[in-house]
Amino acid sequence: MEAFDVVGQVIAGKVAHILIREKTDAKIELGNLLVAEGRDGSSLILQVHNLSFGSQLDQDLLELTAGLELEGRGGSLEFFDADLRNYVLAEARAVASISGDRVTIPKALPDFFASVRHVINEDLQFMDIPGNTAYLGKVRSGSNVLDVPVRLNVQDLFTHHVLIPATTGRGKSNLVKVLLWSVVNDDNLGVLVLDPHDEYYGARGNELGLSKHPDAKEKVIYYSLAAPAGTNTLVINLKSILPWHIEELFNLTDAQTEALYTYFFPHKKDKQWIEAIFKGERPEGVGEMTASVLQRKFKTALGLDVTEQGDLICHNRAFSTTAGEATLDDMIVALEGGKIVVVDTSRLSDKAELLIGSLVINEVLTKYQRYKQETGSSGVSKLEDKPVVSIVIEEAPRVLGADVLSSRGDTTYSTVAREGRKFKIGLVAITQLTSVIPNTVLANLNTKIIFGNEMASERNAIISSAAQDLKDDYVTIGSLDKGEAIVSSIFTKFAVPIQVPRFEDYVAEYGAVNEPEDKHDIHKKHTRLVF
Amino acid sequence: MKKETSQVANELIKRLDTHLNDENIGDPFFPERGVRPFPLTTDGFKVIQLLDSDRKTAFVDGGNQEVFGAPNFSVQLNRVYFGMWSGNRRIPERSIPKRTEFFAATYSDFERGEIQYSTELFPLSSEGVSLPRERDLSFSSMDRSITVGNQRADIYRVGSISRRFSELVLAKSVVENELAPGDLLLLDGTLQTAFPNEYAYLDELSKAAQEKGVILAGLSKTSALFTDTGHSLLGALDKLAADKGITSEWYYPIADGTSKDHFVFILGVRLNAISERIFRLEVQRDQFLLLDERELNEVLTQLVRNSTDYTFPGYPYGLIDADRFARVTSADREHYFTILHSQMAAMGNWEKFYRHAKAVDAHGLLNKLG
Amino acid sequence: MYQFAHMADVHLGANRHGKMAELEIGAFVRAMDICITRKVDFIVISGDLFHVGVPSDLDTVRQAVAKMREVTENGIPIYAIYGSHDYTPTSTSIIDVIESAGLLTKIVRGTIVEDKLKLECVVDARTGAKLVGISARRMGLEREHYDMLDREDLERLDGFTIFAFHCGIDELKPEYLSRMDSIPISLFPKGFDYYAGGHVHQHSEHHLPGYDWVVFPGPLFAGYGRDFEFTAKGERRGFYIVSFDQTVTDVEFVETGLVESIFKEYDLTGLNSSHAQDTLAESFGILDVNGKIVVLKIRGVLSGGKTSDIDFVHLQNLLYDRGAVDVHLSRRSLTSADYGAIKVAGEDVTIIEERLFKENIGTVKTNISQLQGDSGVKLSLELLRVLKEDRNPAENKKEYEARMIEDALGVLQLEGVFEK
Repeated sequence: MEAFDVVGQVIAGKVAHILIREKTDAKIELGNLLVAEGRDGSSLILQVHNLSFGSQLDQDLLELTAGLELEGRGGSLEFFDADLRNYVLAEARAVASISGDRVTIPKALPDFFASVRHVINEDLQFMDIPGNTAYLGKVRSGSNVLDVPVRLNVQDLFTHHVLIPATTGRGKSNLVKVLLWSVVNDDNLGVLVLDPHDEYYGARGNELGLSKHPDAKEKVIYYSLAAPAGTNTLVINLKSILPWHIEELFNLTDAQTEALYTYFFPHKKDKQWIEAIFKGERPEGVGEMTASVLQRKFKTALGLDVTEQGDLICHNRAFSTTAGEATLDDMIVALEGGKIVVVDTSRLSDKAELLIGSLVINEVLTKYQRYKQETGSSGVSKLEDKPVVSIVIEEAPRVLGADVLSSRGDTTYSTVAREGRKFKIGLVAITQLTSVIPNTVLANLNTKIIFGNEMASERNAIISSAAQDLKDDYVTIGSLDKGEAIVSSIFTKFAVPIQVPRFEDYVAEYGAVNEPEDKHDIHKKHTRLVF
Repeated sequence: MKKETSQVANELIKRLDTHLNDENIGDPFFPERGVRPFPLTTDGFKVIQLLDSDRKTAFVDGGNQEVFGAPNFSVQLNRVYFGMWSGNRRIPERSIPKRTEFFAATYSDFERGEIQYSTELFPLSSEGVSLPRERDLSFSSMDRSITVGNQRADIYRVGSISRRFSELVLAKSVVENELAPGDLLLLDGTLQTAFPNEYAYLDELSKAAQEKGVILAGLSKTSALFTDTGHSLLGALDKLAADKGITSEWYYPIADGTSKDHFVFILGVRLNAISERIFRLEVQRDQFLLLDERELNEVLTQLVRNSTDYTFPGYPYGLIDADRFARVTSADREHYFTILHSQMAAMGNWEKFYRHAKAVDAHGLLNKLG
Repeated sequence: MYQFAHMADVHLGANRHGKMAELEIGAFVRAMDICITRKVDFIVISGDLFHVGVPSDLDTVRQAVAKMREVTENGIPIYAIYGSHDYTPTSTSIIDVIESAGLLTKIVRGTIVEDKLKLECVVDARTGAKLVGISARRMGLEREHYDMLDREDLERLDGFTIFAFHCGIDELKPEYLSRMDSIPISLFPKGFDYYAGGHVHQHSEHHLPGYDWVVFPGPLFAGYGRDFEFTAKGERRGFYIVSFDQTVTDVEFVETGLVESIFKEYDLTGLNSSHAQDTLAESFGILDVNGKIVVLKIRGVLSGGKTSDIDFVHLQNLLYDRGAVDVHLSRRSLTSADYGAIKVAGEDVTIIEERLFKENIGTVKTNISQLQGDSGVKLSLELLRVLKEDRNPAENKKEYEARMIEDALGVLQLEGVFEK
């Protein structure tokens, strides 16, 4: 332990509860990463998950002494060897064993009486992985942030799905922005972002968002009902909607479901089955009541209605009978082209938002399933050449919640969660309530970026589905501050505590925003313009 | 007729009370020759004037436990330790190791018509060990200083002797290597010899101290001293101090000892005003008489300053510290026994040793039966 | 109350020969005549008046110019923007010549002011309508212009405003043109009374928030290339006459309707080349093609012989002989089994299957010739291929079943025979 400051010594404990006596004033913190070096040259990284006071003195004596001091009656009395007899004990768990280049899950205890020091950047070099990576933040040891970036391989991260459990105000939107910014340039990843608070693109004026990325013009597409110049107006033609999209959106009775298809089949070619429902077509087998229920559902979710003249109109401008025929195709082409498609759903109802997501992902899923079966020119499946496609969805229980899945069966989203990996399609699910998502789904979300959460039930749900054993982090999770998170993933050696940078700071450090071009260059460009 | 317990208690207390004579406390009583006691009066108390100086105090203590034994052999682990303080501040040692550990293996032989105990020493630390001389650890099992009544002394009692000698050897080494003139060396207990051959060690220590100008003293936690009216001596002092109404630290000259094996000046001391305890402090006689009042107060001030720990106000923390690090715990005993046991097993003579040890094991067995 | 005509994508010169060329210029002349008759106040041409920058057939040009002269002499100004076909930025096109002759007024007048493209509007003297536009460039490069466009400036225009453009719009392009280069409507200035579009060869009218009346007239004539098929399938061709005062009051689509078209599709699967020839000839013999443009789509897999064995020239001549104005025949989807399997992967399986069927086809007791011999084997293989297809996860069971049945019936040529 040459030049490094020793902060404590291993004195007792057992696996996952190694007791370290803190050196006076070393101020070990919850979540600190410490290193115990072994006599054989290996080292063990330990993570502190509990702190307590230790004393050579009886509790009664300590209470009495405190009383004497508080009441001013101690006189000349003091504690001799105070720092020897009263100290802090840190309880830690070994999270990684490093021997040369090999990093493994530790199976032994540190040397007895081993000194421990704080982790330094060099200890964590094994976290630096090559290849295309997504950035999440920097390693955090307690409240101290190291200069060690935490990156995960893009393919691995997104195909194996991500869960971001967090209560409001903990910084999850900030994380998503940082994450997306870091992958804008990755041509092997397309991301569909359903943005219910219109916070990711930075559409207006000085808002900082993905729009300010230097490659935003080519790589980030924005759809909104209030699209600023250069971005796309969100409008989808009703012809794009098919009965199975509606099935997973509503709780329908069997009669209602059958009615949907009864309307659909005669209109398979012209795809005007929804118009048919509103224009009073009454195919055989569909009752008056059923038809009107269907109308009402469409009205509520999509804002559809019929004018006095009998024409179908959409109050919800996101849907149209005339425009938006190619919107879905455009989005899919963009995703297959490795772009980020941000859909501003802030002005849409829940159902409309989910429907749009479902339309896109359904289509991508179908295509990718086909690609998997077809062989390309190189002799391997066509899917190999296609980028991973991921969908970012907030309030995930709307589509992954146990009650939703039991009443409506599998949704597109839950299908992706369960099987998407086979077809290079992934899910990034953001939620405040992990406990309502069934374990069978949670088990497939292989990376969890855990932010602070006070609720006991939620912490337990997160812990029980994590890739590593986090039960000792129960206290830690409750004490995570804004921007602090724990990355528990099958792709990390241990549950890594991170500090997610503020988006503004990240952009300043890692990527220049879209600066206006040099005037000279503009002038040169203009001379090419002819009218 | 069966009596009520409370009634019995009542009678008992009444009777005892008549024997606790608070009125006439008397004067200190020392049965041995050569000790001149001083009368106990309220005027005899001397308030300790707090005079800080750069004197140091070294505290020495030892501990021992039998690790494995039989009626005819005893293996004991011995520890001796010293710590240095200046008032309430710990002073690091300069050269000699703070702690010495060694095994003392004592065995019995039949010699000159009687069972003789002899001891061999096996140091566990390697450098600068403070070991007594093995020849000083041979006695007859019927030596009066170690027998209990007229019963033969149990062999394990020899262990306490090797520990005590070792303390004195360490103390001498501390005087020579760590202390300066004017400093104090304090032993736990009295400066009175009790064992055969002990005087030689105490004498060597005392000579070394005088030559160096280091003051040799001993502090006893407990005291079996009485007054000539049957009172506990320290209890009598306590009452007198209360009668006098002294609220600060004090000392009281109790007796002047001039015999060879108890050449000390004996004081009673209260080292902290709120402490309820009075301790017996013995100082090497010649050295004590050379101290003027200022010097004496400086020395006592060092002890006062060292006696302000919350855990035991009025008792020098240096002795608490020395006791803790010198103590041999049951856990230590178990640990070392295991090592010995495994060695014996490896060497093939465990059976033989165990056959001897069984003779004293009955007591332990009975304890386990509960 | 005023009126203007809005047309686009005339593509004069696309059809260079014979009757088609006649009909093409004829449609333009007809449209102009209607404008004169209807006394429109002005005409807006939203690009691609000519098919190429410098047409080789100057007679077409002469006729067009003559008509335009007549129109202007009738007091009807022609305002135009250029399309992706009828000009090149780097050299002079015929349309430049016409413009400099004063027969049409270009309404694309832009200057760069502080990195923004400022467009100057042209005011129609009689109606006071303000016209402004952006010409197209090849491969959708006009996007640059739109990115720099000073929209706020244009949005401040008052009175009746027309914005002319020649490009696809993301939100409005039809599904079959989804891969066309297009730009988002958000790049257009908001609040204009009429957006006169061009480039999309299909007439349509749209309303989007902030953008009332976004109109594409489509070509005047059957068009060229793929347009013929749509025309033959019923797509109407013509232009718009728009009535307005403060705002648009009426938008009327006027068909130029010079010639009819018919569309026919043939599936020759299972027939050998000679049989196919006979079948086509027989059909062609009874089609009503007199005076019409005939669009044919031939597809399928011949059971024997090469596709080149079929004398399509002769077959087409049969139609011309019967009075067809023009015949467009597409046989891209026609192949022959003789050419062998193309796929490398899975070849073994199909060979095995074929062998099995060959070995066993004799066991099928039937009088129907298609089910016997080679024909039977081919049919079996095709049926097997169709029925092997997995269910799409996007399909539910009913849908899958329906598709399987439909495809199977298709192979057996029994569509419509069974009631759903």
